[in-house]
Amino acid sequence: MHRVSKLPVSLRTALLLIVPVAVGLLAACTPDNNQSTFGTAGPVASDQADLFIFIFWIAVVVFILVEGAVIYASIRYRRRSKSDKLPYQTHGNDKLEITWTIIPVLILIAIAIPTLTDIWEQQNGAPTDRGEVLSVEAIGHQWWFEFRYPDHEVITANELHIPVNRPVGFKLESQDVIHSFWVPKIAGKVDMVPLNDNYLWMMADEVGEYYGQCAEFCGIAHAHMRFRVIVHTEEDFNAWVAGMHTASDPPAAGSAEASGKTLFAGNCSSCHTTNSTAPGSYAQEISSQQARWNGWVSDIENSGIVSAPNLTHFGTRSTLASGIKDLNQESLVEWITDPSSIKIGTRMQDHAAIYKTADGKAKLTDDEISDIAKYLLSLKPGSGTTDQTMGASTGGDVDAVELFTTNCAACHSTGDDKIVGPGLAGIGDQAGNRVDGLSADEYLEQSLREPDAYIVDGFTPGLMPNWEKLGDDSIDALVTYLKTMK
Amino acid sequence: MTTNALTFPRFFPRPQSETGIWGWIGTVDHKRIGTLYGITSFLWFLIAGVEALLIRVQLASAENTFIGPEFYNQLFTMHGTTMVFLVIMPLSAAFFNWLIPLQIGARDVAFPRLNALSYWVFLFGSLIMNAGWLTGDAPNGGWFGYAPNSGVTFNPGLGMTYWVVGLNILGVASIAAGLNFIVTIMNMRAPGMSMFKMPVFTWMTLITSVLLVLAMPILAVAGIQLQTDRVYGTHFFNSLAGGDPVMWQHIFWLFGHPEVYILILPAMGIVSEVLPTFSRKPLFGYPFVVFAGIVIGFMGWFVWSHHMFTVGLGPAANTAFAMSTMLIAVPTGVKIFNWIGTLWRGNIQLNTAMLFSISFIAMFTIGGLSGVMHASPPTDSQQQDTYFVVAHFHYVLVGGALLGIFSGIYFWWPKFTGWFLNEKLGIANWALMMIGFNLQFGPQHWLGMDGMPRRIYTYAENMGWEGSNLAASIGGFILGFGILLFIINMIYSRMNKKIAPADPWDGRTLEWSTSSPPPVHDFDEVPQVKYRDDFWFKKHPETISEYYHNEHDLVVEEDAPVGADDAEEHGDDHGGHGGIHLPDKSYYPFILGVGIAIFGIGFLTNTYVIAAGVPIFIWGMLGWSMEPVNDPT
Repeated sequence: MHRVSKLPVSLRTALLLIVPVAVGLLAACTPDNNQSTFGTAGPVASDQADLFIFIFWIAVVVFILVEGAVIYASIRYRRRSKSDKLPYQTHGNDKLEITWTIIPVLILIAIAIPTLTDIWEQQNGAPTDRGEVLSVEAIGHQWWFEFRYPDHEVITANELHIPVNRPVGFKLESQDVIHSFWVPKIAGKVDMVPLNDNYLWMMADEVGEYYGQCAEFCGIAHAHMRFRVIVHTEEDFNAWVAGMHTASDPPAAGSAEASGKTLFAGNCSSCHTTNSTAPGSYAQEISSQQARWNGWVSDIENSGIVSAPNLTHFGTRSTLASGIKDLNQESLVEWITDPSSIKIGTRMQDHAAIYKTADGKAKLTDDEISDIAKYLLSLKPGSGTTDQTMGASTGGDVDAVELFTTNCAACHSTGDDKIVGPGLAGIGDQAGNRVDGLSADEYLEQSLREPDAYIVDGFTPGLMPNWEKLGDDSIDALVTYLKTMK
Repeated sequence: MTTNALTFPRFFPRPQSETGIWGWIGTVDHKRIGTLYGITSFLWFLIAGVEALLIRVQLASAENTFIGPEFYNQLFTMHGTTMVFLVIMPLSAAFFNWLIPLQIGARDVAFPRLNALSYWVFLFGSLIMNAGWLTGDAPNGGWFGYAPNSGVTFNPGLGMTYWVVGLNILGVASIAAGLNFIVTIMNMRAPGMSMFKMPVFTWMTLITSVLLVLAMPILAVAGIQLQTDRVYGTHFFNSLAGGDPVMWQHIFWLFGHPEVYILILPAMGIVSEVLPTFSRKPLFGYPFVVFAGIVIGFMGWFVWSHHMFTVGLGPAANTAFAMSTMLIAVPTGVKIFNWIGTLWRGNIQLNTAMLFSISFIAMFTIGGLSGVMHASPPTDSQQQDTYFVVAHFHYVLVGGALLGIFSGIYFWWPKFTGWFLNEKLGIANWALMMIGFNLQFGPQHWLGMDGMPRRIYTYAENMGWEGSNLAASIGGFILGFGILLFIINMIYSRMNKKIAPADPWDGRTLEWSTSSPPPVHDFDEVPQVKYRDDFWFKKHPETISEYYHNEHDLVVEEDAPVGADDAEEHGDDHGGHGGIHLPDKSYYPFILGVGIAIFGIGFLTNTYVIAAGVPIFIWGMLGWSMEPVNDPT
């Protein structure tokens, strides 16, 4: 009777120990999952997986021996009756002690050797013998990723494009809190720490699209801070870079896209740049991004501006809101209408003026939102030549909104917010009163042609470029446009 | 007391009541304080469990909208903080309080009033830390509060201020308790009990206490800096003003890794008592188990950066900390092998306490093996901040620390209460906990390897994480039912009152030599110790020669303590206890605790409140120092 009543308990112990192993072995067969660390697509992740599997099998052996001994002893030496005689009161065995101290040391040495090799291979800078290293600066923001290609002067966000079979050297930064940069199938994570730049290299050996995700808790929208890595062939990557230097075609007059563009310029362009294609726009976007950050951080409660993803050629992206949703007209309309329905905590909704409504939804009509979405989806490399000049006009029709969006919006909001320069709300009313003896037209023209002639209190001279280069027609058009800002 | 000739002004009458709330508030009895610690931390355990279940409901399916991110972040922050600081640490403290004087043959701890102060400060700190739930502003920065996300810029509101003020107050309790137990163990052992005749639980308590005294001040440094960052606008960790967020991580984990051993060593001590008792064999390799504990406690100081392998400390630092971390697996392994050696050729009684202890070995081994996996920085870079790590530390802290604590509760419950717990309910309790625990945390290893980061409140449907998460959620509820059975068992024990004798298990250590529950003065006569497992060998003298082969092993060492002799010296001062010296009750620890709590509330509300705490604090201090330990009789 004793045997029968005791055995099930012991068997249960045995079964319970097998459960995690069995579940593990079953689940290990999912290398196709989007963020599986097993179905690797690059040498760094693959070395890491190999090392894991090496340690795993050692652990399995130790596991079986230890758990086997525990279960065996529990069953074999269980008390059969109260009258069992006392076991021998041994104090221990010194030889055994030495043995089970030395054996683990040897096992750990076996694990330490490949560990050290991998550490120095993976954490000591990008290799120089595997092809030309592509430099990328990845910057963590609450809650999205910015990617800069200093060698190509390209800026993008949330979708990282890299060439296959070429090492990519990352400089990892953060503007706000600690994030962690992680593409499980290509390389293990490295944190993005403010004031402490980190370095990471990775290499993809298969063309495709890979999932990435922030791995360090970074606040309310941490779960929604994701990104994608698009691995191209070398040719496709070069074509992508060329595309990033090709301006979008302007929307046809009267089209929904054209209306969307105007709405975007008025409501969104203080924070989002859409056209970093021309030479110089790379440096300008970096300083604008810094300026947006400074604006937010100097007045977190009330700031009308925040750090925001660059939307150049947004229409070519496949995802929305840092890799959360597939990008299409429907999801984009939903996003613009009420960002928190997709991503709770997003800063856009907390700060942009158009969301200052009772229910927090955009104060735009459905048609207007649809137009903005259509405009954004139309942002793709156009038919124009690369290296377009900065909107310089050649006479004839000049699109003042386009000019403003391209050249001014990065530093001037159309509201009251400071970015780099003053907000321009009401400039049409005030321009005539700023400098004695200058009419509104004269003041605005002077501000464009000789920016330092008059500086609004509290702003730094020398920052604003001289816009003479735009040509007379463009300047006239801009002045006319600015005067409409009442 | 005759030596105390001066009479001081009394600020407060001496508590007289033995029962009722005033009896508890004025108590300095280590057993009652242990009970207070036990009940309080068990209630926090239930709250942390509810927090965990809410998390599991939210994660049971992809894109779930049961809980939003604000509440979710509060839940996981407070679940972790509560389990570490308000459950496992104080549950261990409950065992220290109850058992240390009993195991070393003393009548109380060295500083009984300081002991009471520890409890009150712990209670008030835990309440302040959780006050945010009432104001809707619970801490939300994660249990390790990484800067700058824990600073006011990114985390405005009172949430993380509750957290850091609570932590700082709890630190006072832990440091005081640690000092108290070091002095108690060093000075108050029964005559003849040299260090290497101490029970292993007493040894592990000593090592834990040393770690507490050394580690908690480090946390206090970080805590006070964060507190002034948040309350007074200093810039220790505020990266926007040049403060260093990595510094927070170094200080926090320099505390945090020894903290891991503070959490696990008491449980290791417990199983080192339970396994020999129910194997009816001495602990295998006693000196090796003790030295392994000491080595773990020492090496625990050199591994903190393995929590920071992805922070970018560089290959040299990562190499060094990988090596030290792997090395610490060796003494841990030695302990596991010696526990198995204890089982080997024993006469094993598989009751609830024993099943929990055997399960401790089994589950802690899994946690140890996954620990070796992320001791390797390249592997860790795929595991850090994922569910693999979540699984790892739950195998160590639930499969290790909590199973050990449950084993201890089932083992010593008859000693604490005088009644047995029900064995059938106990085994059902154990089985449900084991099934639930493994179903909850086993699959999480694979979620981690499948790329699921921790601390995300939602995940997309196309990630392939739903099945494992659902299993984990079901497991969580099974684990919860197991704990429910434990509560039923406690109530059943209280109602059924099946009387336990003084020595129900054929125990090995001194606590079993006194009645169950022990008298207020613990021992009618101070025991005289000759052997390791002295009580056992006095019951079974025929086995002495099996354990002690050499005559010289039996020579009483010179370092035999004198503390217990002191008690005898002053014993005749106290006719009331039949010549036994016991400290009188006092309200001052409680008053001093209130003063410290008001300081904390001041940091949360208004600086003037801190000033209001000063008179109460001084009242407590003065009253305490002027009140003689014992009134003249």
